[in-house]
Amino acid sequence: MIRRVDRLSLLAVPALGYLAVIYALPLVMLLAKSVRTPEGFSLAEYADFFADEYNMRVLWRTLRVAGLTTLLALVIAYPTAFAMSRAKGGWLTVFLVAMVLPMSLGVVVKAFAWSILFRANGALNGALQWIGLIDRPIRMMFTETALIVGAANVFLPFMVLPIYAVVRQLDQRLPEAAASLGATPMFRFFNVTLPLTLPGVVAGSAFTFSLAVSMYVIPSLIVGERQQTLSMLIARSFLYLRNEPLGSTISAVLLGIAVLVVVLSSWLARRLGART
Amino acid sequence: MTRLTHRGLTRRSLLKTSAFAAAGTLATPALLRAQSSELVIGCAGSHTAWMEEIVVPHMKEAIGADILFEGTKSSVNLEKMASNKDQPYLSVVQMDDPVMIQAVEADLLTPITAEAVPNMTDLRGDAVHMDGMWCNYVQPWAGVAYNTDYSEGVPSWDALWDPANAGQVIIPSLQNTEGMWTLFVAAMLGSGKPFSEAQYEIDAAFAKLEELKPNLLSVYSTMSQAFNLLEQGEITLLSGNFSSYTLPRKSEGVPVDLAAPKEGIFAMPSGICLVKGGPNPELAEAYVNEMLGEKMQSAIADFASSVPANTTVKAGAVIPEGVQIYSPDWAFVAANRRAWIERFDKLMAL
Repeated sequence: MIRRVDRLSLLAVPALGYLAVIYALPLVMLLAKSVRTPEGFSLAEYADFFADEYNMRVLWRTLRVAGLTTLLALVIAYPTAFAMSRAKGGWLTVFLVAMVLPMSLGVVVKAFAWSILFRANGALNGALQWIGLIDRPIRMMFTETALIVGAANVFLPFMVLPIYAVVRQLDQRLPEAAASLGATPMFRFFNVTLPLTLPGVVAGSAFTFSLAVSMYVIPSLIVGERQQTLSMLIARSFLYLRNEPLGSTISAVLLGIAVLVVVLSSWLARRLGART
Repeated sequence: MTRLTHRGLTRRSLLKTSAFAAAGTLATPALLRAQSSELVIGCAGSHTAWMEEIVVPHMKEAIGADILFEGTKSSVNLEKMASNKDQPYLSVVQMDDPVMIQAVEADLLTPITAEAVPNMTDLRGDAVHMDGMWCNYVQPWAGVAYNTDYSEGVPSWDALWDPANAGQVIIPSLQNTEGMWTLFVAAMLGSGKPFSEAQYEIDAAFAKLEELKPNLLSVYSTMSQAFNLLEQGEITLLSGNFSSYTLPRKSEGVPVDLAAPKEGIFAMPSGICLVKGGPNPELAEAYVNEMLGEKMQSAIADFASSVPANTTVKAGAVIPEGVQIYSPDWAFVAANRRAWIERFDKLMAL
């Protein structure tokens, strides 16, 4: 049996080779550029990066936007996953198509659609005025709120699908057992349902945060150059400033954040798995 | 696993097949490059309309070239050329003068000669740069684009700073060449000096730009999106826009126009060059020759409301009368642009 598994694992060789050449090797070269100077090894680029107040503001904005995007996606995705898990036949197909089909649309097209929604005379301002919540149009375009709404829209499937996978396997007899013992709906949710679905929440949040923290096209189109993120700084460093050490340094910082998220989420998932 | 072996799929054959597949995949771009009639051209994203409609069919008919073009910003084209210096895949690049200077400094260009490109002898003298390292092929003019439903015109660049236009203005980033126009206007208005002197008053320019912040809705690096907002009336003024973009939209009935404010307008520095060591060099020279020839010059100048560089061509845009048209010291820009971009981004950051 072990020998058979070993042989089957050879099927992964092309994929591993491809990743090594196309992904790992360039990544190592990129990281090397961030610590290599004409004089030899140096962390000066990192020191300069973290000493610059502007860079710190961009780093904080990147983390804040990614965090809030993840939170908004979670708030929308969690009930959606439950609705999908209860859906049967045609309704389930409708849910899945609604989830997957928008992924086939380019971000540029979506950004133009959002600009129609967020305009001063756009649909959202019109609706808010019509129901009397505001007297005159409020500025929505080029705001962080618009960015978070737009990003959550793009990354929603990456939050819904992991939660849906867990919720679908949830043993419905457990909340029912809690109910039969007199637990209130609130108690059942926080002490039975939520802990059992947390692995899906962690996986979905890790996916969404990792994607949101490194997004480039969406902030470029929705908030423009006045609210830069780390990815925009990387593009600027390589393409406009032609400063490869700076671009490599920021890339390494971004990679570090992504790795930290993956490691933390794996650790959390293991702990939650052990508890449940 | 046994069944697999019986069908002849052994571990060795599997690895061999994978290796051949990987080699094939990696070799594909080289195989494609080897096609003799193909030319990859780097150009601006805003060139897409006339490249598709005018240039691609003409080049197929005139020189038998299959044109592939990559529309992006000049600085991105420069990066592509620099990154692929040892094995260039672009043959010709159409980009702006300040970036051309950087490309010359990085030894990425090969000179255009009259022997290989006879039509360059018909160009205006000031359209050939650094002994033929690049030529200007057409020149759009730049001013302030405005939405005609919300503005009757822009008599002065001061309108950008007018409190009545709070939140109604978008300017280009200095990452885009057209972003320089707002910087130079700010230098003129801030220093009170004529353009010839003001273009070096960069501190005055940044001080004046800071005063513009309350009026800014955004700063763009992707022009099409900003222009879309102008067309839809979300903003009233789009600074630094140029005739090859605004005037064709105006002629299509979109409520936009391009103003030539009294302080002056700017000549967009649209250049064309041959990439050093680029594929199909003879076909690339033929392409450049066609671009500088009468037929292409007339067609592009008419389509893109630009001033042709070829002196035998009478078509194209008419430069507004009664205002100065400026062309800055691009060497000074090229030497300082990186520092200006960083300073500008920090100044404009929210």
